[in-house]
Amino acid sequence: MASKRLEEFWEATLTPEERERLDQIKINDLGFGYDIFGLNKDWMKTAYAIVKLFYEKYFRVESKGIENIPTEGRVILAANHSGGIPIDGAMIIMDVATKLNPPRLVRAIVDNFAAAMPFVGLFFYRVGQVIGHRKNFEVLLQNDEAILVFPGGTKDIGRLFKDRYKPAKFNVGFIELSLLYKAPIIPVAVVGAEEQLPVIYKWVKLGQIFGSPYFPVTPQFFLGGPLTNFLPFPSKYHIYYGEPLEYYKYFSEDTVENPEMVQTLADDVRSKVVELIQRGLKERKGVFY
Amino acid sequence: MSSTKTHNVLITGVTSTLGRQLARLLYYDKRIGFILGVAIDDRPFYFDDFSSSRFHYMRVDLTKPRQVNNLFYSDIFKDMNIDTVIHMAFLNKPSDVGPKSHELNVVGTKMLIDKCLETGQVTKFIFKSSHLVYKIRPHNPVMQDEEADLNFDKDAPQWIRDRVDADMICRAKMDNPHMNVVVLRFSNIVGRNIHSLMNAYLSSKVAFTVMGFDPMVNLIHPRDAIYAIQLAIHKNVKGVFNIVGRDTAPLHVFLDLNKTKRRALPEPLHKVVNSWQKKIGATDFDFESGRDLLKYAVLLDPTKAEKVLGYRPRHHVEFG
Repeated sequence: MASKRLEEFWEATLTPEERERLDQIKINDLGFGYDIFGLNKDWMKTAYAIVKLFYEKYFRVESKGIENIPTEGRVILAANHSGGIPIDGAMIIMDVATKLNPPRLVRAIVDNFAAAMPFVGLFFYRVGQVIGHRKNFEVLLQNDEAILVFPGGTKDIGRLFKDRYKPAKFNVGFIELSLLYKAPIIPVAVVGAEEQLPVIYKWVKLGQIFGSPYFPVTPQFFLGGPLTNFLPFPSKYHIYYGEPLEYYKYFSEDTVENPEMVQTLADDVRSKVVELIQRGLKERKGVFY
Repeated sequence: MSSTKTHNVLITGVTSTLGRQLARLLYYDKRIGFILGVAIDDRPFYFDDFSSSRFHYMRVDLTKPRQVNNLFYSDIFKDMNIDTVIHMAFLNKPSDVGPKSHELNVVGTKMLIDKCLETGQVTKFIFKSSHLVYKIRPHNPVMQDEEADLNFDKDAPQWIRDRVDADMICRAKMDNPHMNVVVLRFSNIVGRNIHSLMNAYLSSKVAFTVMGFDPMVNLIHPRDAIYAIQLAIHKNVKGVFNIVGRDTAPLHVFLDLNKTKRRALPEPLHKVVNSWQKKIGATDFDFESGRDLLKYAVLLDPTKAEKVLGYRPRHHVEFG
C-alpha cells in the first residue's frame, strides 16, 4: 500500500525523462524489491522527487568534474562534511544521479546513531544510505557500489562557523578498504554548505536528548528556537569532483599494516579535497549566487 | 570435505516438526546406518512405517539424569554404535519460559553433551541454535558473522538467555579432540507447526509492528534447515555455522505475503497490547523476547556455511 502511495507521488512529481534515468539505476534486488540493506527503488524515487526541489531551486547546485566518477565498478567518494546537518551528502547523491551518464546511486555512510531513531533510520535504509560499519562498507565494495564517505566524520560537520572550509583530519578506514578492495577514491569538495547553517555553538546535552551527539545552534535558533534552527539559508552549492586516486596501483594490500603510511594517504586525499575547496572558493562569485 | 563413512545417529526432540522431518530425511539417506529417535512423548504413529532395522524410538526425558544415563547405557545405543548426536530437544514456543524450559534447554543440553563426551563413542555432536543468540543492536553491520557478539545482557529475557547459555555450553566443548561439536545458528525457521518467535509473530491474528521500524528479515524453509543438518552430519566439520534461508525482505513484506493484518504501534504500547493479545489467545508471540527483532535487522553472514559446509538454501518459504 505504502508503495502505491509512493508511486503516485513520484509519478506526479518526476518528469518521464527523470523516471527513465532513475530506472537505469541498478540495485542488488533480493527478489522482493529490496537490497540487503533495505534499499527500495520506489523510496529512492520518492526521495529524489523531494530532494530535487532543494537541489534545483533552493541550493541551485552546480558541479564540475562529474566525468571523473566511473560509471561502473566500485568507487569511494571522499568529501568534506559541513553545514551542521548532512544536506551536503544528499546534494552529492542527487548530483551524481542527475548528471552522471548512466546514473548511479551513491551509497552514503551515515552515522551510527541514526539507526536507533524511529523513522530516521528506516528512511536512510530505504533510500540507500548505510550505517557506518566496516562490514557494511565491505559488502558495498564487494557489490561494486559507489560509496560516499565523509572521512572527517562528525568532527567535520560539527565545525563551528569560524573554522569553515578547514576540513578536520581524515580518518583512515576508507584508505584501508580502498587498498584492500582496489577501489579508486574520488576527492570531492562541497562549497556553499558551510554557509547554510552557520554553527555557532554545539549544545551537547540537548543533542543527547534526541540521541544525537550534539545540537548545532545556528543564528536561525534565535528566530524561533529549535523550530527554525535547522532552516538552512539558500546558499549556492558548488561541488567539485577530483581525478581518481588509485593508491592500490602503487601500494600493496600489506600497506594497511602500516598505520603511518595509511594516515599519509588519508592526509593526501584531504589535501586534494582542500585544493578543490580553494578552487571553488576562488571561482564562486558570492555565497548566494 | 565429505565423509564416505556411514553414520548412526541419535536425534533428540525427534517428535518436533523439524525432528520428525529430519528423521524421515535421514531414514531414506543411504549414508545413514541407524537412527535412534528420542523424545519425551509416547511413540507417535507417524514412525509406524519405519522399519525397526533402521529406526528405534525411545521415550526419554532429558531433564532426568537417570533417564539420560539409561539412554547412553542402553544396548541399542551401544550395539548400533551411535556416533552422531543431533540435539533438537528444545522448548521453542515463546510461551515456554520458566524453570521447566530452563531445565531442558540449558541443563538438558549440558547433561547431554557431557554424556556424549563421557561415552567416547560419539564423534560428532550437532546443536541446533538460533540467530537470537546474537546481540541485536541498531548499529550492527548488515550481516552478522559467527564471531559477532552474543547477547550476554543480564536483562535479556530468560527465553533469550537460555539460548545463549546452551549455545555457549556447546561452544565450550569445541576444542575436544575426540568429538566434533557443530553449532548451527539458524535464521528464522518458518513453516507449518514450527515453534519459533517469527512463526508466532507471523501467525498472530493482528501483528503489531513497532512504529518507525521495518527491519530486514531472513526466513528459512524447514526443508533447508534439515538439509543443513544433513550436511553437518556428513561433512567432516566442526565449529559454528550461520544457516540462512532464501528469502530476505523487510518484515512488512512477509506479513503481507502471509496475509497477516498489521498495525503500527508506538513502542511503549507494545508490552500492554501484547499481554492482552496473549491473554485472549490472539498470538503466541512474546514482545519482550522479540522486541529487538521487530526493530533491527539480524541477517546472518552465510559465507562460512557456503564454503565449509557447502550449504546453499534451495527453498522459498510458503505463506498463507
